[in-house]
Amino acid sequence: MKSAIGKIYTADKRQALAVGLAASMAAVLLLSLISIVIFILIRGSSYFWPASINTIEYSDFHSGKTEQVFGQILMSRVPASTFAEDRVIEQGLEQHWLMSRVENGELIQSNEIILPTQIVSSRNELDIAELRLTDGTRAFIAPAGIRTEDREYVDLVEFSDVHKNVKILQRQLKVIRDEHLSPIHRQIAQYDRDGVALDAPARVKLLNEFEHFQRAIGNLEQALNGYQLVVRDAMGKQALVPMGNIVSVNFPNRLGFWGKMGFAAQRIWGFLTEEPKLANTAGGVFPALFGTVLMILLMTVIVTPFGVLAAIYLSEYAPNNSLTAAVRIAVSNMAGVPSIVYGVFGLGFFVYGIGGTIDSLFYSDRLPSPTFGTPGLFWASLTMALLTLPVVIVATEEGLKRVPQGLRDSSYALGATKIETIWYTVLPVASPAIMTGVILACARAAGEVAPLMLVGAVKFAPTLPVDGDFPFLHVERQFMHLGVFIYDGTFHSQVNSQGSSMMFAACLLLLVCVFGLNFVAIKLRSRLRKRYARD
Amino acid sequence: MLNLFEREKLDLQSLSPSDTAINVEGLNLWFGKKQVLNDISMKIPKHRITALIGQSGCGKSTLISSFNRMNDLVDGCRYLGKVEIDGRDINHSRENVARLRASVGMVFQRPNPFPMSIYENVCYGLKLQGMSLRRTLDDSVEQALRDAALWEEVKDRLFEPANILSGGQQQRLVFARALALQPDILLLDEPTSALDPLTTLYIEELMISLKKRCTVIIVTHNMQQAARVSDYTAFIHQGELIEYADSDSLFTMPVKKQTEDYITGRYG
Ligand SMILES: Nc1ncnc2c1ncn2[C@@H]1O[C@H](COP(=O)(O)OP(=O)(O)OP(=O)(O)O)[C@@H](O)[C@H]1O
Ligand SMILES: [Mg+2]
Repeated sequence: MKSAIGKIYTADKRQALAVGLAASMAAVLLLSLISIVIFILIRGSSYFWPASINTIEYSDFHSGKTEQVFGQILMSRVPASTFAEDRVIEQGLEQHWLMSRVENGELIQSNEIILPTQIVSSRNELDIAELRLTDGTRAFIAPAGIRTEDREYVDLVEFSDVHKNVKILQRQLKVIRDEHLSPIHRQIAQYDRDGVALDAPARVKLLNEFEHFQRAIGNLEQALNGYQLVVRDAMGKQALVPMGNIVSVNFPNRLGFWGKMGFAAQRIWGFLTEEPKLANTAGGVFPALFGTVLMILLMTVIVTPFGVLAAIYLSEYAPNNSLTAAVRIAVSNMAGVPSIVYGVFGLGFFVYGIGGTIDSLFYSDRLPSPTFGTPGLFWASLTMALLTLPVVIVATEEGLKRVPQGLRDSSYALGATKIETIWYTVLPVASPAIMTGVILACARAAGEVAPLMLVGAVKFAPTLPVDGDFPFLHVERQFMHLGVFIYDGTFHSQVNSQGSSMMFAACLLLLVCVFGLNFVAIKLRSRLRKRYARD
Repeated sequence: MLNLFEREKLDLQSLSPSDTAINVEGLNLWFGKKQVLNDISMKIPKHRITALIGQSGCGKSTLISSFNRMNDLVDGCRYLGKVEIDGRDINHSRENVARLRASVGMVFQRPNPFPMSIYENVCYGLKLQGMSLRRTLDDSVEQALRDAALWEEVKDRLFEPANILSGGQQQRLVFARALALQPDILLLDEPTSALDPLTTLYIEELMISLKKRCTVIIVTHNMQQAARVSDYTAFIHQGELIEYADSDSLFTMPVKKQTEDYITGRYG
């Protein structure tokens, strides 16, 4: 038997089989990689692509009445089991629709799940518009005209002019609120604290001013409310939408391919620069992107010197004994510690331990409300620095080891001490390796979620950690992070299909960031290699 | 005093201190348990070229490296005995090793330009000495490159990376790097073994011209080279100094049998 097999599978054939197996494994790997990227790419970019708006007529499940609405299909999927009981599987995938209706003069958006069999008819009409509102919602309507303060009907053609006026009014309102009313508020509060009499002339004067501005605001608001967009739903019911609430009106059904591309480019820009809206299911991700980048920057500033110095000590100075070997093993084991453990350590040691001590020593006047004794950007950066320290140490040590002895000897022979040799010769030659380690650490920190949620990353932060108030960088503040943002998004995805597309878009951004970082690492490394190459 | 132009023969045994560049007395050296140098005593005359010859692995590099204490960098290296430069025992624990190495230059078999520009390579030692004035640096760099016969070839690309130079140019750059420090003693460990004959000739001329300024000690496997350029030659065999004499007599009338066997190519 054995010899028979030996005859069938000659050495050549065995080799071919092995090569074939290895190659197919590589192919599977490649395929799964590509499918991840393509999946994220498609789902993520659908957040930017202006899908067309349908006018559909569908029959209600319970009453059997048909109704016509404007809507957009968000996704289709296999029916969830809870609905399956009164539906027949053969009816096909359930479709998630975002629909707009007017009820009692109010424009209402709803997420609805219908089956293909319920749809009586569906068509694309050119004049249906997508309305984007300031709170992040989208509505599909047929615009019928504009109402201004003095005119009952203005044609839609003048929309942008009217909208400009509205924006001017809004800006004026904001100026009055921020630059006049708030200082007066603060001054009055100061008077209250100082116990200035209620009828003191200064206070009376202030109150008069206050009333003056209040009246101005009243007038402006009234003027603003005079501007309204008249819209109709698919059944012809009419509603009024205040122009002040409208961000944009566009007609995706009229756009050609390039028009859609331009629109998508605009949306991408908005995605990168705007704040999230509707509990992280609409709008942009700017604060999360900003927080991620800032956290990584701070982390790099902390981890690079520590990691490089530790690696220099380990590979250049530490005696070659069992203690050093033990430290080395400990360092590489640190890389395998689950990241949540770092999070818990950061919370317990940095936040409560060190942060609490700082508070009791330097910010005791603000206690019991903590300043540093609460999760924040700095503690998050420190925790991530600790988490990525092994990556940097191992990469640097690797690089130091590869610096040729001849180069070191040449430096010594010219009268350099050990530290001079390391600083002027060894480190520059090892710099590509160090760079690689640091960038790998950055990519790791960009994708980490669990420890960050413990030490300072939140799903919504009211302020950025950088602003115009001294000292400009507020490392004690909580911040938003792309990974945490995506994690938060997955919860919304279960109830709101719009949120899930935002989540995929954020995922795509994270992927682009990490790929970008790696690309930069490779470029930098090859440039440094070229510079420090030896033949 | 010394006459530079005539091969006046000095008595190596009773060399006066003022004529002695390096005085080695009873030098023993171990790498771990292995003894590499065995009781070596020799006086190396100033402003002469002394060649060290011997079989591969006999300890030439180790001996030459003990003149600027490069062996200190080897783990498990121990030594016994005296190496005196200017009447000072360099193996003394209070010796400033960095300063010693700055005054005893060394060129290795393989050129090792630093990953910097040509200019910075030549400056390396000077900057370590605390020289920072741009003008003086410029002058020193030019002088060192001229001394190493490299100036004409690189004067237009001083600020380009040194590793774009050819092997021979790199070796001359390494010479310039060492010469920039104006060393009293120059140690050359097989400096031409990786070079073509023409560049070798360059370097040999360079060595001869350097005699005026410093003492040169060269390790070489090339008998003709040793005979051509060196004034004195030491033959080392298995860590022992077998014969040490002026090159003319050593190559023409070796006293020891082992020396004769080696230079006639019977082994090695
Ligand atoms: N770093 C080291 N550690 C241990 N042993 C060494 C070390 N360097 C040299 N040796 C040993 O010391 C002996 C002398 O070596 P050395 O390099 O001085 O020889 P060499 O005469 O220069 O030979 P070559 O002509 O091949 O360069 C050899 O036996 C070598 O194995
Ligand atoms: Mg050697």
